[in-house]
Amino acid sequence: MRLWNVFRPIISLFLAERRATLLAGVLLAAVTVLAGIALLGVSGWFITATAIAGASTATALVFDVFAPSAAIRFLSLARTATRYGERLTTHEATLSMLAGLRERIFRSAVQPGTANRLSFQPSRTLFRLTADIDALDSLYLRILVPAAVALCTTLAVAAVFGAMHPLFGLAATAWLLVPGFGIPLLAARWSAQPARRRAHSLEALRSRTIDVVAGQTELAMAGQLQTYRQSALAADARLATSDDALNLIETKVVAGFGIASAILLGGVLYGVAHLVSMGVINGPVAVLGILIALAALESFAGLRRGSIELGRTILAARRLGPDLQASSPPLPSRTPAENHAVELQDASVIYDAFPLPSLQNVSITVQCGERVALIGASGSGKTTLLALLAGEIKAARGLVKCLPNALLTQRTELFQDSLRDNLLLAAPGATDRRLLEVLTIAGLSEFVDTLPKGLDTPLGEGGTGLSGGQARRFALARLLLRDMPLWLLDEPSEGVDGATARDVLDRLASQMTQRTVIIATHIRREAMLVDRLLVLEHGRIKSTFSKGQPEYQRVLDGLRPD
Amino acid sequence: MSSVQSTITLHRERSAENDAPRLGATDIVTEPSLQRNPVSNGNAAPWVQVLASLLWLPQAALLAKGAGALIAGSMADTKWIVAAVIAIGVLRALLDALGTRLAFRNAREILSTKRTQVILALSRRSPLDTEKPASGLAASVIAEQAEAILPYLARFKPARMKATIIPIGILVCVFPLSWVAGLVLMISAPLIPLFMALIGWRAKAASERHLAEMGDLNAFLLDRLRGLATIRSLGAVDFTARRLRANAEELRIRTMAVLRIAFLSSAVLELFAALGVAMVAVYIGFHLLGQLEFGAWGQRLSLLEGLFILLLAPAFFEPLRELSAVWHDRASGEAAIEALDRLSVPGVDMPGGLIGTHPGQCSAGTASVEIKELTFSHAGSERPLFGRFNLDVRMGEHIALLGTSGSGKSTLLSLIAGLAPCTAGTIRIGNTLLDGNSSETLRKRMAWIGQKPHIFAGTVSDNICLHRIDLDNGDIEAALRIASLQNVANAKRHNYLGEGGSGLSGGEIRRLALARAAINRDADIILADEPTAHLDRITAYDIVDRLQAMAAGKTLIVATHDPVLAQRMDRVVTIGDEFRLGEAL
Repeated sequence: MRLWNVFRPIISLFLAERRATLLAGVLLAAVTVLAGIALLGVSGWFITATAIAGASTATALVFDVFAPSAAIRFLSLARTATRYGERLTTHEATLSMLAGLRERIFRSAVQPGTANRLSFQPSRTLFRLTADIDALDSLYLRILVPAAVALCTTLAVAAVFGAMHPLFGLAATAWLLVPGFGIPLLAARWSAQPARRRAHSLEALRSRTIDVVAGQTELAMAGQLQTYRQSALAADARLATSDDALNLIETKVVAGFGIASAILLGGVLYGVAHLVSMGVINGPVAVLGILIALAALESFAGLRRGSIELGRTILAARRLGPDLQASSPPLPSRTPAENHAVELQDASVIYDAFPLPSLQNVSITVQCGERVALIGASGSGKTTLLALLAGEIKAARGLVKCLPNALLTQRTELFQDSLRDNLLLAAPGATDRRLLEVLTIAGLSEFVDTLPKGLDTPLGEGGTGLSGGQARRFALARLLLRDMPLWLLDEPSEGVDGATARDVLDRLASQMTQRTVIIATHIRREAMLVDRLLVLEHGRIKSTFSKGQPEYQRVLDGLRPD
Repeated sequence: MSSVQSTITLHRERSAENDAPRLGATDIVTEPSLQRNPVSNGNAAPWVQVLASLLWLPQAALLAKGAGALIAGSMADTKWIVAAVIAIGVLRALLDALGTRLAFRNAREILSTKRTQVILALSRRSPLDTEKPASGLAASVIAEQAEAILPYLARFKPARMKATIIPIGILVCVFPLSWVAGLVLMISAPLIPLFMALIGWRAKAASERHLAEMGDLNAFLLDRLRGLATIRSLGAVDFTARRLRANAEELRIRTMAVLRIAFLSSAVLELFAALGVAMVAVYIGFHLLGQLEFGAWGQRLSLLEGLFILLLAPAFFEPLRELSAVWHDRASGEAAIEALDRLSVPGVDMPGGLIGTHPGQCSAGTASVEIKELTFSHAGSERPLFGRFNLDVRMGEHIALLGTSGSGKSTLLSLIAGLAPCTAGTIRIGNTLLDGNSSETLRKRMAWIGQKPHIFAGTVSDNICLHRIDLDNGDIEAALRIASLQNVANAKRHNYLGEGGSGLSGGEIRRLALARAAINRDADIILADEPTAHLDRITAYDIVDRLQAMAAGKTLIVATHDPVLAQRMDRVVTIGDEFRLGEAL
């Protein structure tokens, strides 16, 4: 039942995607296996019957060979056809679910918790997410379909043996069900812990490899290269231990099925021999029974892979399931009073799990059209304050009112897509003319003109293919497309060389009229664009200086020159 | 069969080749997995599995005999046949389990050996080796891609052996009874690989493309997740989600178009296997009825013989089915082995890189640095970065290496730290020549403040003491105090730091590097690379103060282009394009 609760969100997502295809896949898979069993059974019956009939010429002549031989041919062709159909249907279903799963995961990742984890440990989180998605991808194909097939087989076998003798049918069914499902369930239980350990060890091996390779200099200088190397190898040793445990379980499953199948085979042989000697069934039917028993447990072998992976799949379902169910309510954004762009009253941000600077009782009012710079040493809370205004994070206490806004993040975030599609993110309906317009303002139109593919030029992962300055201008163009009354700019010219930086800032400044702008910065050229300086220290507003005040110039002069 | 053996032999030779120089170079690294030859017991594994499969022959014969006995009505015979069928079945299951375990252990050991080789090879290469693979690539090959070796060695190779031997074994049993049945099986078996090959070449391309596009889909998702803040800020969540869905649907339609053809390959296998069984069954049936008299070497088959042949027919195709199920393991397994071998190719070695542990005491002598006629060029580069460069740093002197970016300031620091071998010339630390033998001992007296400090997976304290057992909490506290990092450390005491230091500001990362250097109290030479770059003025000033306080009475060499910092040193050495040596102050 607990198992069901874990998988319910995933299965209901699957069913919502493609109910008919999913069920058809299961049905076809069952028919394939049953056709195989029937083929063997009927063949055995046929040979035995013909052998008995062939003993005397009289019976041999009247024996109807056509119905059984036609059945054998039909079953062999049917098996092939359903196998082909099954593979197509199950893959079609899997691919549909894969589409649905990825969309849902993306939507759930937008929620603040995942988003925070992502920004904090991107590669670890993404690595784990990919592994989880892969594990869920196999839920249908490796677990649900084989389980359903095994169940169908049991029912069919129960019917055939039950027709021979009810007690015999009952015994055979019990013997199929108990080891058939008992062994995989036991295996799933046993494998849960090693599977989890395996996942963790693999993550550890990954991060320690990075530590040894990327941190080599620090380690060599501290004389700790050997220690870290050993710890990476220790991660592999732990990985090997869990691999070994999982392989042992898998081997036990296979051996268990083998032994169960041998006992079933012997038991059925004994049973049908007994029934024949009692005269309940005849020889050919007895042989049919033996061959069905031979094929029946093979359908359970399909559960082998799935039962080993069940532990991993449960882990993935536990991690992703709750997110998939919850629909994300957008953070409520309250509108400030007229003429005000931002109102903060005693706003505090507390991070417990994430070592980011927090904010303490910050109160600010920003007028519409005003330009404000947040300055302060690194770690004083500038980025956190912008994130709070952008709605990326919630205030633990206090009141936040803010106009709709656009955030220019510190690191330019571009995507693996064409230039056009990167821009359209900001305004899905924009025409090419409009795109070229904003590119001109951002100073990129000449560059785009030189590209052979123009706006269709693809960018690499994370937007590689543009220089730092070009990427920054591109982000500016996207900001313009968004056309918001409030701009939140996080170090807009950081990481760009002097001349380019001034050009980007000039272009930004020319678009700032009619807008309220808040800039987080520690560079003088950026702070010079504003009317008011807010100095942050340890998450508090320490002082405020307006243009014209003597301290204003003094604070400006204290900033980094370029 | 012979190809299986030759591959394994080849494998053994290759791994032996890789081990030899590595173990000869140092006896400090003694990995048990490197010394044992894992392949030795691996040869037995497939044979055990083949033997297990072949046990089906007597089991099938007994079943046929049992069926004959029950039709003859002899219950007494049935009992011992039942017992024997069960006994052989259990033995078969156990033997197969043994074979699987042997094959797995052997494969897993090879995997560990390969991983060890790669990690050793990478960690001994100099940080200045421009050809050295990036850590991200190394991590994904070592952690993820390498996993593909396991199914390839543990499943594919035994499956291939079974597919070669077992059908022959079955044919040997069937032919003496009936050449027709034998012929039916013999003809359908080679037809399977033939048709599979015909369809397979498209199937292979299809499945590869399918995998690649599947990867693309994950890459799309990961790429967008990385820029989540921007997507949210642009209000493009819904747009992106729909785009993701559309891509996935498109992938489905395209993939299904190719899978329709690709799956024909498995349908052929299924068809021939089913037809083979059907034809054998129908032939035997008609033969037993007396309608097809030929085929049994002039005799009539008995029911027992007929059933025996029928029971062997599915087993004849089983190994082929098994092999086709693991077929794709080969390509990915071979690719993984190749990728790992490529990573373990040796490059420019870091002097003393294999030792990596400070042995014994600090070297004696004063904390002076004496560079004579130093020449260094990057591997493969024509132009030397330094030519006949000379520099003398006296004990306790604080000097700044000033120069434009690319002039080689950082490289010079790395050379002083012995992180790369000099092309020509000598470096002496306190009168000891810096070379492969002395570099580890000499590094013990140096403290390093890198330009981009690597943030290790761990807490702030882990990042400072780097798991050195000779340090206690008091040492860590002292180092934190020197670097003014107590607040951060207190706030984040038990928390793991973010990757690449996310969550730490630029200044805090620099302070962390400072604390890392400060904890090494034995060090009397401090090497600092651009300690103030990209910092605001107040933070930069504070960092320099702390650096100077830490370096009081010690030798300090700072590479920088910050004129303010350079002014505060005793001496400024300008490194120019023509290797000129300018001195100021």
